[in-house]
Amino acid sequence: MTALQDTTVQAPPRTASERLARFVGKSPVHIILGIIALLWLVPTIGLLITSFRPGADMRATGWWNVIVEPRFTLANYERVLTNEGMGQAFLNSLFITVPSTILPLLVASMAAFALAWVKFPFRDTVFLTIVAMLIVPVQVGFIPLVVAMRESGMPLLTTYAGAWLAHTAFALPFGIFLLRNFFITLPKDLIEAARIDGASNWAIFRTIVVPLSVPAIAAYGIFQFLWVWNDLLMALIYVQRTTLQPMTYQVTTLLGTYATEWSLLSAAAFLVMVVPLVVFISLQRYFVQGLLAGSVK
Amino acid sequence: MRKFRLVAPFMTAVLVLTACGNGDGGDDGDADVPEGDGEITVTSLWGGTEQEAFEAVLAAFEEESGITATYESQRTEYASFLRNRIQGGNPPDVAIIPGIGTLRSLARDGSLISISELGIAQSDIEGNYAPGILDVGVVDDELYGIMVKLNSKSTIFYSPERFAEMGVEPAETWDDLVALTESIKEAGSTPWALGAQDSWTLTDWFEITYLKMHGTEAYDTLFSPDGDWTDETVTATIDKMLEILNEENIEGGVDGSLATLFVAAIGKVFSTSPSAELYYGGGFVGGIATGADVNPDLAGQEGEAIDWFGFPTIDGNGEGLVTYGGDVMAALVNDSDVAAFMEYLTTADAGQVWAEGGTIISPIVDVDTGVYPTVLIQAEADQVTSAEAVRFDGSDLLPGTDLGAVLQSALRGEDMGPILEEFQTATSTAWENE
Amino acid sequence: MTAENPPVAVSTTATASKGGGGFSWAALFFLAPAALLLLVFLLFPTVYTIALSFNRGRAGEFTEWTGLDNWIRLFTEDPNFLRLGFPPSGALWNNVLWLVFYVSLVVLAGLIIAVMATRVRYEAWIKAIVFLPQAIAATSLAVIWSFVYAPDRNTGLMNAVLGIADIGPVALLGNPSTVNWALIAVGIWGSVGFATVILSAAIKGISSEVLEAARVDGANETQIFWRIIVPMVSLPIAVVAVTLVVNVIKLFDLIFVMTQGGPGTSSRVIAFSMYQDAFRQGQYGYGAAIAVVMVVLLLPVMIFNVRRFRAEAVQQ
Repeated sequence: MTALQDTTVQAPPRTASERLARFVGKSPVHIILGIIALLWLVPTIGLLITSFRPGADMRATGWWNVIVEPRFTLANYERVLTNEGMGQAFLNSLFITVPSTILPLLVASMAAFALAWVKFPFRDTVFLTIVAMLIVPVQVGFIPLVVAMRESGMPLLTTYAGAWLAHTAFALPFGIFLLRNFFITLPKDLIEAARIDGASNWAIFRTIVVPLSVPAIAAYGIFQFLWVWNDLLMALIYVQRTTLQPMTYQVTTLLGTYATEWSLLSAAAFLVMVVPLVVFISLQRYFVQGLLAGSVK
Repeated sequence: MRKFRLVAPFMTAVLVLTACGNGDGGDDGDADVPEGDGEITVTSLWGGTEQEAFEAVLAAFEEESGITATYESQRTEYASFLRNRIQGGNPPDVAIIPGIGTLRSLARDGSLISISELGIAQSDIEGNYAPGILDVGVVDDELYGIMVKLNSKSTIFYSPERFAEMGVEPAETWDDLVALTESIKEAGSTPWALGAQDSWTLTDWFEITYLKMHGTEAYDTLFSPDGDWTDETVTATIDKMLEILNEENIEGGVDGSLATLFVAAIGKVFSTSPSAELYYGGGFVGGIATGADVNPDLAGQEGEAIDWFGFPTIDGNGEGLVTYGGDVMAALVNDSDVAAFMEYLTTADAGQVWAEGGTIISPIVDVDTGVYPTVLIQAEADQVTSAEAVRFDGSDLLPGTDLGAVLQSALRGEDMGPILEEFQTATSTAWENE
Repeated sequence: MTAENPPVAVSTTATASKGGGGFSWAALFFLAPAALLLLVFLLFPTVYTIALSFNRGRAGEFTEWTGLDNWIRLFTEDPNFLRLGFPPSGALWNNVLWLVFYVSLVVLAGLIIAVMATRVRYEAWIKAIVFLPQAIAATSLAVIWSFVYAPDRNTGLMNAVLGIADIGPVALLGNPSTVNWALIAVGIWGSVGFATVILSAAIKGISSEVLEAARVDGANETQIFWRIIVPMVSLPIAVVAVTLVVNVIKLFDLIFVMTQGGPGTSSRVIAFSMYQDAFRQGQYGYGAAIAVVMVVLLLPVMIFNVRRFRAEAVQQ
């Protein structure tokens, strides 16, 4: 929680009664914040509880009844993992997401390094062009790229290769931007000194810039991981084998087949959420830092 | 009956040999059908029991021909899945397509292989089907899609036991149906269940009512580029529908039905705690009602606890007219294996294997209705084969505009004048742009 | 909703930002993979798609030149995309609704929560709770909220709560007049955390002396909020707002999974229309035109980003 922890801007109260007075005086704030916390937690918790409830219970009563009649089961998860393809889909999500996170990290950091620390003509123009490309929506890619991938003769659509490349490409503008802006904050003297010592650009990149930029790279990596893991549309288009489809796709299939089978749907939806939530909660500091690096001076 | 067992495989073998060995193609064409590699993929959007029944057919095909047919189920996003695969250069070999609009569009894109290109002569297979059935799959005078399965959409399901308790009987005319609705209410129950959230249930209602009221010619015109949705026949049909489908007669009222999916609506009549008495839908309703999703205890009680009567005539019109829904199969790849498969599916043998699965009615005339597993399905097959005229599900013929949404508005009691005008504009534009 | 494009970074202490110097093999080596990917996957497709919008585009290829037909049809003959009238409707109009309500309410809620959170000791927890949906896939968000909105008192939380006051049950997602609001609510729920975190950091940057001085002068909290806090964080607000605008134009997953643009076409958004028209209906040229509309709508954002970068560069 450290990233989100900040000191309040008021002087701390001294005596117990002062504390009480302070608390009561702020109780509207507490109440509102309490309501907000509820609003933001309850829907997700409701789904989580439902995923552990037997189907018959789900059909009969609302999930809030577990308070009076707690009955839980793992049957929904079992069924969804084995019978409904979520187990395979989980692996598929992994296979799509990991390379689609590592590749952009590599390619973007290299490009960002050049844009930050290597002199060449029109460098600013190149960077501006990349800034402009931040807005390009994935929709412009679909039609031409599927045709292009087909014509290429390579098995880009029947394996994950096409999706990896597409994800990487669309992740580059943001990554290059974020990393370049971080790289230029690195101590100039350090890099100049290395140059004077005869270090090659690659050596500088590998031994100075990258190690010093771990927070930024981690932030970008986390963004990208979450983005790809949670993606639906790119998978729909660029992964053209039903057995290769990731979890997000599988959930939409389940929604089509089992429109109101909330027991199953909730289990499936949660399986999609598990990894991002774990990644997010444990690496939250980097995530937030990345966001902040982007917006506040 | 016996001789089918010999004739069918023999015929198939002859067909297969002809297709395989005939490098110069069949009667109709100069099609030079390339050799297949012994494997094909077939896709459709079926799962569950429908998939099992179909896979039995694929197994039978493999036995006959030695060609392995693998089934790929694509339960959602079927049209975009097909297009994507075609664009991506790895289409399935055979696709079973539920919407004729999609069929037309793909054919005009050049993504489908016509039947004659495969070396199959239309004249050879025409005899296997009732008149008009093959026409559904014709695009710009070329046959692309062959009907592989169908269901009547002229069946109203009810429980004979409960009818006896209430002292009512099935209706044969529209006025009788209205009277039946009233009698059920007087007996203390709610008459109709409607799954209007699945808007295609409303299009089914519309199509059968329109067909009965206005006949086959008007029907054909309406569901063609010349159709006029602002015509008074359309509003008359909607008004007729709303005589029965209104707040007092539907379980849950209009709003409730608009939030109910069709399987849940079937459940309102046939589950263990029913709350309505009548469900109009396709013949497949029987299978769903007696299946795992609704009430498996009903299986075996067809005729007693569950039965159907045909959609009534309206003001003396529509006797013997039946609407039906079906899927057509089309080829996306041209090779001898695909040709062999398509031909196999036009034989009574294949139709029989499939019919035994109890999930479909085969359009092939020579399939003996006795093979269907329940009396409900047998009766349904009889209804279709003995009908005076059958008409394919109109909304599946439209070029992608959403008749269902229009009808949902009608159900809500909205002013249909501007809605129908807009629908007419959208539909005629869509026909042009297909 | 996860922000697909978190706000753009701005260079602060740029030291080596100027280009120049001779041709560099090193630069080429480091830039080549990115340049190649960007050219092939972003630039080429943009050009192709723009060109395809003037074509029938059967099966995604250039089959028949149609000139401005797609464009005229898109803006004048397609009520699913845009129907000018009173009230207007169509996918484009729905995006406008999202733009107005989603963006403003997320920013406002984000600000208010950020300010309130600074007063309490459990601030970090509040922010974490509100921020959590950012990690959740739109697909799962759709399941969570479809469940909440379920039109049955024994299933859907919303109707259960309304049921206490004996209202309903209501089917928000099944009714064309309420569906968009229900969806916008979900969108807000998913994005407030993002705004809160960023604006919270921005607010921390306001010197406490300014705030104390205002309090001493007798200003109440509301005045402080509107007259001091908001103006002082106007740039981060703008950045957050711009990111949210981009989210709105690109909005797809939530609509696709929750309502498929329905009932009918009442909750469509332009990204969904593109998918529907191109991939389901096979109208690739027409769909390409919609994709171009998306790019055009995002151009102001691009100009904003580029200008910001330039402004920062000048300050060095």
